[in-house]
Amino acid sequence: MSDSKKMSWFEWSRENTGPQHASEKPEALSDLLVLDLSHESMSGLVCSSILAEMGARVIRIEPPQGDPARRFSPFGVLHQDTGLGYLAEGRNKYHITLNIEDPKGRKIFKSLAKRADIVIETFQPGFMDGLEIGYRQLKEMNERLIYAGLSTYGHFGPLASKRRPGSEISNQAYSGLIQVNGEPEGDEQSEHGVPTKVGSWYGWYAEGLFGAYGILLALNFREDSGKGQFVDVSGAECIMKFIDYNLNWFHMEGRVKERLGNFDLAVFPYTYIRCKDGYTFLAAYNDEAFATLMEIIGSPELAKDQRFSSFMNRTSRENEEALQRILEQWSTRYSVDEVIDRVQEVISTKGGRAAAVVTGKVLRPSESIQQQDWWDRGVFRKINDPSYGELTLQGPVWNMSETPPRLKWVCRPVGADNQFIYHQYLGLGGNELKRLGTEGVI
Amino acid sequence: MENQDYFDFTDGLFSVSDIFDKPEAMKGVRVVELCTRVFGPVTADLLGDFGAEVIKIELPGVGDLMRYVAPRGFFWQNMSPAFVHMNHNKYHIGIDIRKPEGGELLRRLVRMSDILVENFRPGTMDKWGVGYRELKEVNPGLIYQANSGFGQWSSQRDRPSYDATSQAMSGFSAITGFLGRAPLKTGVWIGDCTGAMFSVLGILTALYYRRKTGKGQIIDVSQGESLVRCLDWTWLYLTRYGKDRAPNGNRDMAISPSAVLRCKDGFIGVAAVNDRQFQGLCTAMNRPEMAKDERFATFSSRVGEENAEALHRILSDWAASMTMEDIEKLAEIHGFAAHRVTNARDHYHDEHLKRRGAVCDFEDPLYGNVVEYGPGPKLSASPGRMRSIAKPVGFHNDYVFRDLLGLSTEEIEELEEKKVIGRWDDRVGAKPPDDWKSSC
Repeated sequence: MSDSKKMSWFEWSRENTGPQHASEKPEALSDLLVLDLSHESMSGLVCSSILAEMGARVIRIEPPQGDPARRFSPFGVLHQDTGLGYLAEGRNKYHITLNIEDPKGRKIFKSLAKRADIVIETFQPGFMDGLEIGYRQLKEMNERLIYAGLSTYGHFGPLASKRRPGSEISNQAYSGLIQVNGEPEGDEQSEHGVPTKVGSWYGWYAEGLFGAYGILLALNFREDSGKGQFVDVSGAECIMKFIDYNLNWFHMEGRVKERLGNFDLAVFPYTYIRCKDGYTFLAAYNDEAFATLMEIIGSPELAKDQRFSSFMNRTSRENEEALQRILEQWSTRYSVDEVIDRVQEVISTKGGRAAAVVTGKVLRPSESIQQQDWWDRGVFRKINDPSYGELTLQGPVWNMSETPPRLKWVCRPVGADNQFIYHQYLGLGGNELKRLGTEGVI
Repeated sequence: MENQDYFDFTDGLFSVSDIFDKPEAMKGVRVVELCTRVFGPVTADLLGDFGAEVIKIELPGVGDLMRYVAPRGFFWQNMSPAFVHMNHNKYHIGIDIRKPEGGELLRRLVRMSDILVENFRPGTMDKWGVGYRELKEVNPGLIYQANSGFGQWSSQRDRPSYDATSQAMSGFSAITGFLGRAPLKTGVWIGDCTGAMFSVLGILTALYYRRKTGKGQIIDVSQGESLVRCLDWTWLYLTRYGKDRAPNGNRDMAISPSAVLRCKDGFIGVAAVNDRQFQGLCTAMNRPEMAKDERFATFSSRVGEENAEALHRILSDWAASMTMEDIEKLAEIHGFAAHRVTNARDHYHDEHLKRRGAVCDFEDPLYGNVVEYGPGPKLSASPGRMRSIAKPVGFHNDYVFRDLLGLSTEEIEELEEKKVIGRWDDRVGAKPPDDWKSSC
């Protein structure tokens, strides 16, 4: 047994990957310069947040009056000058202003882009090219440049050239996500029995995460080839990748995935059930686990009931409905915690497939944030930000042994880093910056 | 060149017919996948889309239990569509790594690989003697991706977790749907897929770092934590303002208008994120004066609670009298965002998606013609591509054991006899199509 094996896996992994030692370790992307030109969209901000958490130097370029995305906030609330959406994704970035529609501004942008590794933009496809600072022009100055364009319809294809604006909701709608989400339509039209959007900005988050994925692929390719490239990301297509067997099932059997609420086409029980004081997820879909669950609810004979005796029988619509009722007759006698404890107690005596009875309390955000584990693991962090004060928000996702991510600061006001960045990269002093300010360039 | 239309330029740059003439971003990167169900397989799948050589190790016989998850019990040529979707471009082999000889085969594979992805319960690989601590001795450059429900060292690490566990516990479900209705799980495995995306981001970052330093590492990603990260302003709203975000149906609470509306013939997502787009929308509605109404004239007035509701009612009434196509056409003319709620059939026939390779029609050597979603991001110089779909358990045993590992016929037979390695059971979901005949 090697030395490191004296520790349990649990202790070893906490000690070697936990966020507590992050600042003592190197950052994976610390040699990269990123220019983020996101405009009126959260996707580019999410994309550059990922790179910034991993150590890239990200320069956020906003128009002199600030990115309109700073206003995207529930009921319009602003913390100082900035909405909560932007505040969540301003992390670790230097914030400068630049009017790229002004010829002087474009010149400044080009000299930054010449030495940048990555440019991220979310304008209407073709807008940057029209200003002569698109991929076509920038690659002539910097052949190592990775240029990421993020949008709903992408930068090529019949819909791209029609210049219909994209949006977060368009990403969700076009992807098919909304089609399969929500309660089935009842006999009468209702407000809620409709295709339903996902509550969060998943359309933008998916677009941004896939943007970072494309950029990192391109970066690895650049290490081999020395060449940059164009990374074109359609937010709608990103979510499509996650709509499981939607498309191939249609190809194979001609059937379209429907909206089923808590029922499921392929596995059951795999549902949320009502308890005395709330809801929990409950799944036990293989035969062995299902038998365990029937034992838990005190009806072991149901495992042999013809309606439920096989994987296949349990997934007919009728039988799913019947089973849901049976489960809730049991669960509504207990609190959520009692149901989950009862399941844990029984599966701890089982092994293998019979133990696959899986739960998960449906938590409100105010309950989620009380999970101590998530504080320990750095999922939630309280940070004393020099510009925006004490704030609590979501931290980076990865626990990594060599190059852990960091959350260094939350956000900066519009143009807060103009002096530092313009001086460091372009040698522009205070007087020059003042002049450019008067001319409306920065 | 400079005078060329931008979209002619991009059409050429990304032309789908040139993809196989271009290099691959992950060429030469080998991935060992020890995963079942969704979270792990999707992780490796996203690497395989861009040319990584993914070797998926399954338990001989039955294989990945995802093979038996099938919509309404439907199997296609003995294969489930649900299993197909997260297993493209992979080599499928059968090894029982719990047996000593199986563990040894795994170590030999790891020695010649770059990345390992696993999604067992935390500590399982370690218990079997093939955890990160052992494997990094075999290959110090190894990037070891550990996927789990709660994380390797969470106090809840021993609890089983599926996708919907993460939807439930992260708050994702609580902020989706309509107020006063029972919470719903989303119709897709969004926790698994989002977690997989974070795993891929970690892996690619670690790979970049390894190219510079030669050092590998372990990366620990949890489904639930991944969804928490994606809930945008939820946490700031809670901690700064004490507000527990409630579901808001089909309306965005932070942008107005941005909503799903019912039309005469279906549903459509509509948004106007700035004054210019909003004016366009008002013009399209034949109500240009509405853009000057003080309730709606600026972004901040539109997003206020009462005004947003009033605007939503006006928009809903308008949309109810229109078709989806009417509104999409108006969106193009007047410059606001609108797209109908689409389904698989729409995608299947969508010219735009086909031209972009987002809907990809290709021929699998075993199953024939397949239609699948193509690689996510479109890369101009090193594009992703679809080669094949999932295969029966152990279908590529011969390639991996004989060619890569150099085992002899006698060694292979001995390992088969000891049930250390193996192929499929005679079972739908695990076995080849009925009309398949081995060529060897």
